[in-house]
Amino acid sequence: MNTGSDDVHVLLGAYVLGGLSDEDHRTYSEHLRTCGPCQAELGQVSGLPRLLDLAGPEGGPHLTDGPAAAPEPLSTEQGDARVTTLLGEVARRRRLRRVWLTALAAAAAVIFFAGGALLGPSLVATSTPTPVASATQAAAHVAVVAVPGSSVRIDVALVKRGWGTQLDIDCEDMPTNGELALWVIDAKGKATTAASWRATAAGYSRVTGATALNPNEIQTLEVRTGTGKVLASART
Amino acid sequence: MPLDDDAVAEIYREHGPMLRRVVWRATSDANRVDDIVQEVILRVWKQAPEAENLRAYLITTARHLIVDQYRAAGRRPQQAQLVDVAEQDSALDRALDQVLVEEALGRLQANHREIVRHLYYERLSIAETSERVGVPEGTVKSRAYYAVRNLRVILDEMGVNR
Repeated sequence: MNTGSDDVHVLLGAYVLGGLSDEDHRTYSEHLRTCGPCQAELGQVSGLPRLLDLAGPEGGPHLTDGPAAAPEPLSTEQGDARVTTLLGEVARRRRLRRVWLTALAAAAAVIFFAGGALLGPSLVATSTPTPVASATQAAAHVAVVAVPGSSVRIDVALVKRGWGTQLDIDCEDMPTNGELALWVIDAKGKATTAASWRATAAGYSRVTGATALNPNEIQTLEVRTGTGKVLASART
Repeated sequence: MPLDDDAVAEIYREHGPMLRRVVWRATSDANRVDDIVQEVILRVWKQAPEAENLRAYLITTARHLIVDQYRAAGRRPQQAQLVDVAEQDSALDRALDQVLVEEALGRLQANHREIVRHLYYERLSIAETSERVGVPEGTVKSRAYYAVRNLRVILDEMGVNR
């Protein structure tokens, strides 16, 4: 069916919307029986009439003539005012988030010093925990707080994707040999590896991991060594 | 961070007017439109600023917020006895789909929208439409084809997958 098949397959539009003459209708129906691509295409759009019906007998405000039910127009100043309000709210939430992270950092420090007191002061100089409070970039950045006795600095950005969550991991002052891994733990306590990488001599790496969990399903993030020792953790 | 401000302002400028229309028409509550739109944008900004299909994500988030608020905001007791929750939600879903379909028709190119109106809503034939619009029948057929394809794409972008 080469000749005129371009002409035939555009009939899909009016086949779905209506309006084909009897002859065209017959032609397209026959064509459809043997043409796989047209069958597939029809499958994609065959739900449209049902959706179009939702817009009422006349198709809604955009199809009726005249200004009619056009939604309230928004002046530029109004729009700008709304952006300003929105940004004010962003600033407020950012402050809230910062407070939360600082609190977390303080808690970690308390645990550390309690441990340090038992282990003796000589360890303090070399293993100060330094949680990174850089959680203020575009969305869901989590500073993974070093556990006592570890000096790693890790920042994980959670990026929501259609398939789950992309985890952009930025770490410094890491162990310089062995294997490292990022674990994600869900609300039920189930832990899975989302990334694993080899330590570098510089102690610095940027890697990207992935998990099928959505950002809001991730309860805890942990960075562990190949032997399972937890270097740092964060609750999201 | 200015980065955040820019991102949020950009989401608002690009999608705010569409969200306002959708929320306004779905809730018919002018007082709550701004609050809901603001909340939707802030949530999406926090959770998925780089989502591949931002529009669908915004609309899905708006849908959830509207449903939540609708449930929270006093369903009258006698109503609750008569209509079960699932039924009520599906009615709300239909109402939202209606708004989205209308919005999608508004986004369609004008000469495609015109064809949809004549062929589908006014039940005109190709020949009548050709006469009404003043273009050859072949043009009506090909416009109908592209109108249908584009409408599907626009609806997909809005997360209407039915």
